Amino acid sequence: MVVGEVAVETDVVIIGGGPGGYAAAIRLGQLGKTVVLVERDRLGGVCLNKGCIPSKALIHSAEQFQKLGDLSKMGIKLPQESISMDLNVWQDWKGGIISRLTQGIAHLCEENGVTMVKGHATFLSDDRVGVETDGDFETYKFEQAIIATGSRPFIPSFIEVDGEYILDSTASLQLKQVPESLSIIGGGYIGIELGMAYAKLGTKVTIIEMADRILPQVAGNLVKEVSQHIRKLEMDVLTSARVEKATVVDGQVHLHVHSEKLGSKVIVSEKSLVTIGRVPNTEEIGLNRAGVITGEKGHITVDMECRTNVPSIFAIGDITPGPALAHRAAKQGVVAAEVICGMPSANDSAYVPYVIFSDPQIAGVGITREEAERKGYSVKTGRFPFSANGRALATNEMKGFAEVVVDEKSHILLGMHMVGPDASNLIGEGVLALELAARVEDIALSIHPHPTLSEVWMEAAEAALGHAIHIVNN
Amino acid sequence: MIEFKLPDVGEGMHEGEIIQWLIKEGDAVTQDQPIVEVQTDKVNAELTAPITGVVKTILFSAGDTVEVGTTIFTIQEEGELPSKEPASDERDRSQLQPCDEEGGDRLASPWPPEAGRALATPFVRQMAREMKIDLQLVMGTGPAGRIIESDLLQFAQSNSDLREHPVHSNDRILRKREPEKKVNQPTSAETGMEERIRLKGIRKKIAEHMVKSVSTIPHVTHVDELEMEALKELKDQLKAYSEDKEIKLTFLPFFVKAIVIALKEFKTLNASIDETTNEIILKHYYHIGIATNTSEGLIVPVIKHADQKTIFQLADEIRQLATEAREGKLSLEQITGSTFTISNVGPIGGVHATPIINYPEAAILALHKMEPRMVVRDLEGVIRLMMNMSLSFDHRLIDGVTAVQFTNRIKELLENPIRLVVEMR
Repeated sequence: MVVGEVAVETDVVIIGGGPGGYAAAIRLGQLGKTVVLVERDRLGGVCLNKGCIPSKALIHSAEQFQKLGDLSKMGIKLPQESISMDLNVWQDWKGGIISRLTQGIAHLCEENGVTMVKGHATFLSDDRVGVETDGDFETYKFEQAIIATGSRPFIPSFIEVDGEYILDSTASLQLKQVPESLSIIGGGYIGIELGMAYAKLGTKVTIIEMADRILPQVAGNLVKEVSQHIRKLEMDVLTSARVEKATVVDGQVHLHVHSEKLGSKVIVSEKSLVTIGRVPNTEEIGLNRAGVITGEKGHITVDMECRTNVPSIFAIGDITPGPALAHRAAKQGVVAAEVICGMPSANDSAYVPYVIFSDPQIAGVGITREEAERKGYSVKTGRFPFSANGRALATNEMKGFAEVVVDEKSHILLGMHMVGPDASNLIGEGVLALELAARVEDIALSIHPHPTLSEVWMEAAEAALGHAIHIVNN
Repeated sequence: MIEFKLPDVGEGMHEGEIIQWLIKEGDAVTQDQPIVEVQTDKVNAELTAPITGVVKTILFSAGDTVEVGTTIFTIQEEGELPSKEPASDERDRSQLQPCDEEGGDRLASPWPPEAGRALATPFVRQMAREMKIDLQLVMGTGPAGRIIESDLLQFAQSNSDLREHPVHSNDRILRKREPEKKVNQPTSAETGMEERIRLKGIRKKIAEHMVKSVSTIPHVTHVDELEMEALKELKDQLKAYSEDKEIKLTFLPFFVKAIVIALKEFKTLNASIDETTNEIILKHYYHIGIATNTSEGLIVPVIKHADQKTIFQLADEIRQLATEAREGKLSLEQITGSTFTISNVGPIGGVHATPIINYPEAAILALHKMEPRMVVRDLEGVIRLMMNMSLSFDHRLIDGVTAVQFTNRIKELLENPIRLVVEMR
């Protein structure tokens, strides 16, 4: 320890100001704790600055752009001159959204008495953290700490992301020009979301996926609807294919791809995007000095109260095992804050919803039919297509369906899944239903507003009971 | 593989003692075959196999006390492949519970639906944490076995261990976990001079029952005395005859008979109040409970349809029930359903008492010591064989006058047993 070092004393230090970290900070502030929130980059983390929010802005813009083509059949006549997308203007618009949100968070932290510190934090011991800011070094002594350092894109060693030709998801949202062609390594949800968005803006997109289909983590029947639309957008999808080499030749990316079906092949594109997965940021924060143990993949295992193996140190968000989702992190952040304040809080829910902003969108909560059968349930399902929903037709969004998975014995809902327009918003009903241990009748008997997309849940529930109104029941 | 959890075989029981295993690990069993004998608060029960299969593991041995809801043995279904042991996790998970639901091979148990948690809403789960209740131990009474708020309150109320944690379900914000207070700690001067015994089994049941009765029913006790000369004479006359029939005749069957006759005339004494619906239930059957002392505590075996039985039949049944009660052999059926209770404390002694009604009945009659007493007859002091009786009654249902008329009727029948004979059926 540095001689003469003076540590700033605080109740709690939080490392990382993403959706998990800032939620924890605000909750702790509400509960009267002194909090130091350390963020090395910008408040809001990946989610706000280079993930969820900017990507949704891009997806929304691309969707609007593409929909222009559908307007003529509704009688809307556009001027004949060609329509174009100016990504420079889009970048400004995106920047406005982000700065508005980050300012909002900073304001909330401030109002709740949270001390925000910019810098890189490392543990010095199990009760001290050092923060380096532009060459200065400050030490904080804490009662409890919350680690919320998040994750970053995983880049295989043979690929070098240069931000110019070979991009990670962050760089792909900072383009000033719509690329002519884009090859995407990894057909997971990030690759599909961004790939479809660029395809709508006119980019020739090729997706290379190692598994035998895109979105391998998602139930096949949901993905089918997305695959159909991918074909419509004239995107190329190579499955069971492996990228072996990536080089930049004359301002073009050459991807050397191998698959059993195609043999070896070189795919040339203007830009390439790597979206293989994410790795937790747990290496550079001095975990060993604090005594916090990480698992094989660098994740920190926690209990339901988000405690690590060191009782005074908590971990939340992408660095804990489980899906890297902002809403999971935010919940864990609140739980950790409340546990620190002696409240009987716990992250006890099995119902973390998933949302994919593909076109059509995919969203779900709970288990799928296959998972339920594997667990030994006798399962009943009910399905209702958007093509039979009036509102979907009236907004020209007829793709997809809603499905409920029900335990045949008790009629308790086990899962609700959906592919279709606005699935991301519609899944809220599913989360509430499952958390409240609802039975399928509870949804079927509730009056759903007409004409809305939400009616598909009611009809799917009725279908499970054998009496949906707007389809012929088997 | 099915995990067999100790069910609630009595009414609201929370634990049971394993008396003996009727099978051993590895035995093949058929569905409904008796597996284990369990003793609960008041009854013994044989638990049977839920399916046909092989008993894999027995988790408790005879003599163990097990809480309801705890797995006591596992049984593997016929033809089911042995489930593989969950692979030991590569990570160090000592004292850590995984937070996510992704990892870990869980055993397939189709019922109850697990989906990673007990069947309860987030609010109820939060409330359970505040009350320090393990939801796995709570029986849900909501739709499809859902655990609802009242189930937690019920569970907490009947679990004395939790009494010291009061619940303020809406007051969770900002409430910090206080250091646990030790309630009723002996002061230093008394240390070592007290003994603490856990309130459990029959004693706990009695305690709960008494509190329920007294806190619900406004009790009034009315005391009167009986002259027993005539009844004693009748009983003595029957002595030889009853010995011939190998029946030990006591006064009690005569009391049962007189009470039943009086109950038929004063219907509100053979009744209950249903507080949930605000209704009076008049019962047209006469099941008489006989409070009986056992080494474990008070038990009330019931003589069903006492109005349809002869004095000898009653005498025989009373003796038999008392024996079985002392040997702990009574079934749940034999200790429930009484409509009126007699507490015969006379043989032990005492002048009068304020007995507590056996909830939800309307009255209880205590019979006291029979003894020669100086009484006044025709303005002269004479010695007569006398006995007191104390009737506690539910004043919501029964007015004082009715209660006195009721005991007067019993008195009339027993002081002139010939009247008892003509009223008998």
